[in-house]
Amino acid sequence: MLNYILRRIAQSLLVLLIVVLVTFSLPYFQTNGIMAPAYAVLGTHATPANLAIWAQQNGMNHPFFVRFWTYLTQLIFHFNLGHSYKQNMSVWGVIALYVPRTLWLALSALILTLIISLPLGIIQASRRNTVFDYSATGTAFILYAMPSFLLCMLALDAFSFHTLHLPSSPPSGVAPWAIFTDPVGFALPVGCLTLLSVAGVSRFMRGTILETLVQDYVRTAKAKGCSNRRVLFRHAFRNALGPIITILGLSIPGLFGGALIIESVFNYGGLGIQTVFAATNSDVPIVLGITLLVAIFTLAGNLLADIALGLVNPRIRIEGNAR
Amino acid sequence: MTEQISPEILHETIDRLPTSREIRPAIPKTDDEIIPLWRQRLAIFSHNKLAVASVVFLFIVTAACYLVPWLHPTNQTNQAATFNIPWNQPPSWAHPLGTDSSGFDELGRIFYGGEYSLTLGFLSGFITIVIGTVYGMISGFMAGFTDTVMMRILDAFLSIPYLFLLITLISIFGRSTTFLIGIIGFSLWWGNARIIRGDALLIRNLEYSQAATAMGAGKMHIIRRHVFPNSISNIVTVATFSVADAILFLSALGFLGLGIQTPQTDWGTMLQAGSVQIQNGYWWEVFPLATIFILVVVSINYIGDALRDAFEVRLIER
Repeated sequence: MLNYILRRIAQSLLVLLIVVLVTFSLPYFQTNGIMAPAYAVLGTHATPANLAIWAQQNGMNHPFFVRFWTYLTQLIFHFNLGHSYKQNMSVWGVIALYVPRTLWLALSALILTLIISLPLGIIQASRRNTVFDYSATGTAFILYAMPSFLLCMLALDAFSFHTLHLPSSPPSGVAPWAIFTDPVGFALPVGCLTLLSVAGVSRFMRGTILETLVQDYVRTAKAKGCSNRRVLFRHAFRNALGPIITILGLSIPGLFGGALIIESVFNYGGLGIQTVFAATNSDVPIVLGITLLVAIFTLAGNLLADIALGLVNPRIRIEGNAR
Repeated sequence: MTEQISPEILHETIDRLPTSREIRPAIPKTDDEIIPLWRQRLAIFSHNKLAVASVVFLFIVTAACYLVPWLHPTNQTNQAATFNIPWNQPPSWAHPLGTDSSGFDELGRIFYGGEYSLTLGFLSGFITIVIGTVYGMISGFMAGFTDTVMMRILDAFLSIPYLFLLITLISIFGRSTTFLIGIIGFSLWWGNARIIRGDALLIRNLEYSQAATAMGAGKMHIIRRHVFPNSISNIVTVATFSVADAILFLSALGFLGLGIQTPQTDWGTMLQAGSVQIQNGYWWEVFPLATIFILVVVSINYIGDALRDAFEVRLIER
């Protein structure tokens, strides 16, 4: 087990290296190459002398491999992600400011999604082809087919302008955990993000449970005289947990991506808006830092999902540890 | 327990689980009543009435989007000519769905934007499936070290959130229509490659592939005659869903202002412009288009579901 985890971590580090390499080399292909940020900072009419000074200050006059090596060593030995070109902040400063905001938003939506969609999927599977099942499936299909921003705009119109009068945007300039102290302010963004993921997860849960319900062990359990409830929760649900855990592990980048739309509709300063701003302003250090961070989250999510899979399903023994 | 399942293989197995329904054993038929495979598939597909309706609807919408701007042209690009036309007008005889915030005829614009959305959706969906199939097949069939390397490269790209990657690429390379097709295809093929690779990995270890190897068949032969035909179910299904995803993805780009450039337009950009106007009560700028958009995506997904059933070998000859 330990051997396996260590090998996976080593592979993940290699993957991270590829991520950094790709993101680091992308700016070389834009118009003006790596000097593009100089025009974003100094303006389009910057004099050659000023450009030369900027290049000198930011180490742009070194060849690619020297720059990449400097970036890596700074990152590994000094935990230094560099300084934003556009904002007068270090990349760590930007990350420390915005990551908790997005993280709390995404996490609370994720927990709500699980609370709603797991029971929903189970009920749908156990009452297959009833009116309830059809209407839930239909709603999920429509939610899934709707552009996420459209859902947000419609929710904004319905629950902020016409009825309920919920705040149209969460309070700004507050602590990142304001989501717990002022839940009403966050009701719309969290609600929309939840609805968007409930559509996918509940449908997946329904399919997985249905899949386990036709298995031989479920038939055996029924033949033994287990009650329906016991069959559903002891036998079907436990076996459906594996796929759900895998999907959750894989859904982490999607969570950040979905938060981007939510953040811009509800005007909530978080990681998504920061990335779009940095990407459109050629603020390369910020883009690199955030990409690296999200990549670490994603890889860790995948690894944790695989380990959790081994824990909930005794039939999977991670290699080197056969029973 | 004779064999250990590695989590990777389990991932892929989960990915390719068939739709839920009871699997009936195939009943062998006599020689004279053997029906060609494609007709059996067609029969299973057309058994699903909702899917047939989806095909008809999709055909009508696609035909309208390509033909109406040509048969009954409305001004959709010349802003100077719309100065005389009142903006944000409710539906009337001259403009059956009113005019939008620039004075363009809304009904004509739905078809005009649909031409771009559907073209981009279908073409980039096609790109994702071609790249995904080739990459997944090679990775899964080669297995071992090649597979590990190819999958780790895939992991690297999967762990860069695609919307972020895409915004970076667009801000670097600009956004012509051709480029958008390539870039959407390029951003969405990773998932497909994973699913197809799982198939290839599974099939190459099955008895018939091993028997072919034992009889001296070459790698290309096994891929062509065994791996590809047996993973066609997933390829077709994934291809359908990719088109729906590409259309949705393009709409998200339109919202972020990274879609088709004005004066051309696409459904995402139109929905974004329209959704700002809901608060003013200009319903005709959002709801007709939103309905068509959702129905198009839903029907593509339905077709995908039905195709998966039609290609599910275990349902054939039931």
